[in-house]
Amino acid sequence: MSARSVVPDLSALEVPWDVWSEPFWQATAERKLLMPRCTDCGTFRWPAGPFCPECQSQKVSWVPPGQGHIYSFTVLPIQSDDKDAAPRHRVPVLVEFDQAKGVRLVSALIDAPLDGIAIGDAVGVDWIAAANATVPVFRLATPP
Amino acid sequence: MTRAARGSEAAIVGVGATPYYFRGQSHPQTVYELIGKAILAALADAGLKLDDVDGFTFFAAGFDPGTITEQLGIRRVTFSHIVSGFGGGMAGVLDLASMGIETQRAKTILCIGAAQQVGRRYGQALANFGATPDNIFHRIAGLHGPGQALALSARRHMHLYGTRREAFGEVVMASRVAASTRETAIRRKLLTLDEYMASPMLADPLCRLDFCLETDGALAFVVTSAERAADLPQRPVYIAGTSQVGTRDWGRAFFWLNQSDEAFTTAGAGAVAQRLYEMTGLGPKDIDVALLYDHFSPLVIMQLEDYGFCKRGEGGAFVESGAIRLGGSLPINPHGGHLSEGYVVGMTHVREAVEQLRGTAVNQIKNARTALVTGGPAPIPMTGAILRNER
Repeated sequence: MSARSVVPDLSALEVPWDVWSEPFWQATAERKLLMPRCTDCGTFRWPAGPFCPECQSQKVSWVPPGQGHIYSFTVLPIQSDDKDAAPRHRVPVLVEFDQAKGVRLVSALIDAPLDGIAIGDAVGVDWIAAANATVPVFRLATPP
Repeated sequence: MTRAARGSEAAIVGVGATPYYFRGQSHPQTVYELIGKAILAALADAGLKLDDVDGFTFFAAGFDPGTITEQLGIRRVTFSHIVSGFGGGMAGVLDLASMGIETQRAKTILCIGAAQQVGRRYGQALANFGATPDNIFHRIAGLHGPGQALALSARRHMHLYGTRREAFGEVVMASRVAASTRETAIRRKLLTLDEYMASPMLADPLCRLDFCLETDGALAFVVTSAERAADLPQRPVYIAGTSQVGTRDWGRAFFWLNQSDEAFTTAGAGAVAQRLYEMTGLGPKDIDVALLYDHFSPLVIMQLEDYGFCKRGEGGAFVESGAIRLGGSLPINPHGGHLSEGYVVGMTHVREAVEQLRGTAVNQIKNARTALVTGGPAPIPMTGAILRNER
């Protein structure tokens, strides 16, 4: 069985937010993933900010982004002082969504077989507790 | 409008550099001591005096012109400007210098670049900033350095175009061949493909050898008018064209990772190249030697595509053909570049361009008349410059 990516410990992470990103974290607290879409022209923007980059409207609606897929990823070895410890890896992933064209979420792909990850793979959201927030991470949709 | 139609070109007439130190080893010199030494060396090279200096240009790298002025005792400057980009803005210092000279804001401008990594590392640059609502997602992902984030672009380039690790390896091996004969270079040992392939993965698909050096050092360049350059000791190197471009589909680059789909597998330099070629009336076929910002080897391949040396997606095959080696159709980084000589945020590339066009380079490209210098993929503005030794 191949080694799998770690589930990061984010318990000490303090997530900062502002008035524009706060709805994202309010939704994740209820284990819902929502992304910001311009109420006037329908263009998604990311990160959440004060203006639509297409029409400059400030009106925003938070909507479910649909099915996620891997746009790209990398595999990072985790440095360890213990030379005898088994190597551990984290997998930063860039996720695109079929109902939120043009934006991508940077996150972690957790508990995935390191030799079984590919661009285009479907992913599903999972949740990790940070110090002050619930953080969305991803798993392969059909675990090998 | 071409540069010729706008009148006089500015020229680089002096180059100064400190030794290149492995990360942290320039201690106990301060970064300002390094900068001061580079400035004095550049002025000596130009046959000019400190009192001739009346301008500074930098890119966003955190130097304070006031400190330099105090420490060296520079009498009076009438032009002091910073390109807002990071490594992507590097070549823009030459653009600002040209502007200062052509508009007669100043007569003798110092372009300065320096790096010192005592107590901090550029390889962890993303973690050096405080947490914000925008950058928190990179932290959640574990992306702490530019190489880790750019690995995402490299992997997608491989996925879309079939680019091979052998191509990344060729970029590194070619840089090592160049560095092997250059005494200023830090990594000079020749490298085999087997050795490259055995290098540990740091950010798959990037192995340790795909990452550039982390170096301390400073460089300074003296820029003045072409007319005045004619009376100075060194062969002038003219700034034929420079461009600074920022586009919406590039933005903060790897700090963002929401570039347009078309831009994601580029080095963000397509618009820079187009403008540079329009300004100068030159094209990829006119470039004799290219100094490409090689902080990570796959980005060299993407820049070859951005600057039109090959088609989109064919950069891997282009380098695997041997084209970028000394003696190839487009020699790249004959000084060994960031990968093998040293990393001072692109400024070593300007030095090599000047040496090539003076005809004094260690690995001299025969009859080199034009040189391309590029900034690296980073937040806008992205920048590039074409230098030449004939007007």
